[in-house]
Amino acid sequence: MADLLFCSHYPFSSAAKAYVSERGMEIVSSYVEKAEERVREAIVSGKVRKVPALSEAQEEELALYAIARMIVSCANNRYLINRYAVSEAKKTSDYLSSDASARPDYVDAVAAEFGIRFEKDGAHFLVPLGKYLTYTPRSTDYKLANREVSAGKVKVSSHERIRMLEEAVKKKIERELPIRAAFPAEVKAAGARMLALLPKLEATVVKVGQENYPPCVRRMIEELSLNVNLPHTARVALAIYLVRAGVPTGKIVDIFRGAPDFSEKTTHYQVEYLRTKGYSMPSCATMDSYGACVAECRCGTPLNYRANVHGRALKKEEGAKA
Amino acid sequence: MSLLIQTQEEKFLHRRFSDYYSKSAVGVRGLEKREFGFGGWEKKIEFRHLAFRNEGELRARLVSEAPLYISHSVAYYEFPDARPMPNKNWQGSDLIFDLDTDGSACGHVCGKFTCQKCLDAVKADAVKLIEEFLLPDFGFSKSELAVNFSGSRGYHVHVVSDAIYDLDREARREIADYVSGTGLSFERLFWNEGKKFFGPSPSQGGFGGKFARAFVSRLSDDAFARSIALKLRKPEEKEKLKSAISMGNWDNIGITNREKKLSEKFEEMKLTMAGRIDANVTADTSKLIRMPDSIHGGSGFAAKRLSSPDAISSFEPMRHAPVFKGAPMRVKATETVPALNICDHSFGPIPSGEARELPEACAIYLICKKAAVIA
Repeated sequence: MADLLFCSHYPFSSAAKAYVSERGMEIVSSYVEKAEERVREAIVSGKVRKVPALSEAQEEELALYAIARMIVSCANNRYLINRYAVSEAKKTSDYLSSDASARPDYVDAVAAEFGIRFEKDGAHFLVPLGKYLTYTPRSTDYKLANREVSAGKVKVSSHERIRMLEEAVKKKIERELPIRAAFPAEVKAAGARMLALLPKLEATVVKVGQENYPPCVRRMIEELSLNVNLPHTARVALAIYLVRAGVPTGKIVDIFRGAPDFSEKTTHYQVEYLRTKGYSMPSCATMDSYGACVAECRCGTPLNYRANVHGRALKKEEGAKA
Repeated sequence: MSLLIQTQEEKFLHRRFSDYYSKSAVGVRGLEKREFGFGGWEKKIEFRHLAFRNEGELRARLVSEAPLYISHSVAYYEFPDARPMPNKNWQGSDLIFDLDTDGSACGHVCGKFTCQKCLDAVKADAVKLIEEFLLPDFGFSKSELAVNFSGSRGYHVHVVSDAIYDLDREARREIADYVSGTGLSFERLFWNEGKKFFGPSPSQGGFGGKFARAFVSRLSDDAFARSIALKLRKPEEKEKLKSAISMGNWDNIGITNREKKLSEKFEEMKLTMAGRIDANVTADTSKLIRMPDSIHGGSGFAAKRLSSPDAISSFEPMRHAPVFKGAPMRVKATETVPALNICDHSFGPIPSGEARELPEACAIYLICKKAAVIA
């Protein structure tokens, strides 16, 4: 499909890639500047602007998308990559929403990029179970148990169909970046400038009883500081732990600052909510089922972990295994 | 690295297990990509990160070591013996459902000797899992399901399918939660539209449909019908309600507090609608699970692979899973052994300290249970 409109709406698509490789693309300074602006806006405001409906602008869009990816790759920082991915995915979602009525075949083509075929079912759509689980956000809204599931297919609304594709685009960009290649000096310089946009993290995040944080908690904190997108279950467990360990809300919010989709207000609200609800700490078995358990410390629940007891046993065991 | 053999019972089991592996076919789909784990008297998995290139290599190891427990990963790895885990390079996993009786279906506590009632109950759970979830809801075909007895007191269902191959832990956790009805919420299945009250219809998929079907079918029970509204004792009122529910309209219940009442019924019925599985096993993409057709060291029974999911209904663990048919042997009970029936041989109760001559399968069962020693 050499359809320039489609390609400009969905520059991550294989059609767009084919379009670019057919015509070739030059990296000119004016493009690099615009691409840098695109990345900056994505990081700062969480948005990427839509393209004016002019064929030059559409051609340019393909170049800007490609160069923006190079810039983000040069910055080579998980937070920037994930934040950029979220923004591009949001823009895709805007396009999909408008294309859904005007150009429904566009939506099908984007779904096909991810090997998904949505089957029309009245006002709804049916999607294969595996794709549903892979591309829906893990939230109570999408809890499978409350869904219509039949013959390996899950029913979703037209809005949810687009939400799934947004998630798919986000995951694709997160997975593909950084691109490892030699980039022009101009692009590298732009990438370096992006690092200035990183949120300022405090060097030492928490002091309270930190020596007794179990390996799973340490790992989650470390991953957050590396801007890894922790699953919801892990975030909740970490927040409960920190609340229970007596860490003040402000400090907990600071720890979550590294999350690529971090929002100060939401995090603050959620931590306070956990605090007032007084949720109990998930057991080690539950942590394991979340995929959050990283060591066999045999402490029962992460809150029980004490470095001088479990930590020692752990070291001993690791020594024996080695 | 090998398993330490100490007592004469261990020596004996080692010899007999080795005989078994020298004569039986062993193997599993994608064997060269699986991680294996062996266990002994003390721990079900003492060594892991083992890998074998083919069935011959695996069998040779089983014949020489004859471990009491043999497990393989549900995962397929590029380098199954690499350590630590990330270096194995995970490629995908089968989807596993682990059903285990907690030994309470019988009303008393079974302890180590699982009773027939409990074995029947867990079998019914397995049939329910397959017939009410795996086939109709998840759409797996029977050829994608491999069912085996766990070797002790439950069943394992392995789903081998491209549809689930590369799902991560969280996705699998959703599947497990679905089966066990975790996170199921009345408020998400029923909703108000103005003054109207809508909910699931019996023809729809998922728990909504399950509830609607169960509800409609229970309406024929007068006590149930009356507990919802007195007028439902009249057959024509029942029919009116049924036909409204068939359209997803739950409004036509002439009762006050209909939401509260329905949600109470829902909470009460969801337990019977849900399946009983170990959700942690399903969610674990690197779980080691008993190798089908290997011997379970806690019973001396085979983790018998069933020829098809349908074969489960005629499968009797105490009759079909024992593997040893050698000469009778004399064993002495080290604790009180209840009345048992293994391979159609009834024996016991045996008071602690008393010796009996028993068919080999019965004797090995007691030895594996650590309830008897060779006399």
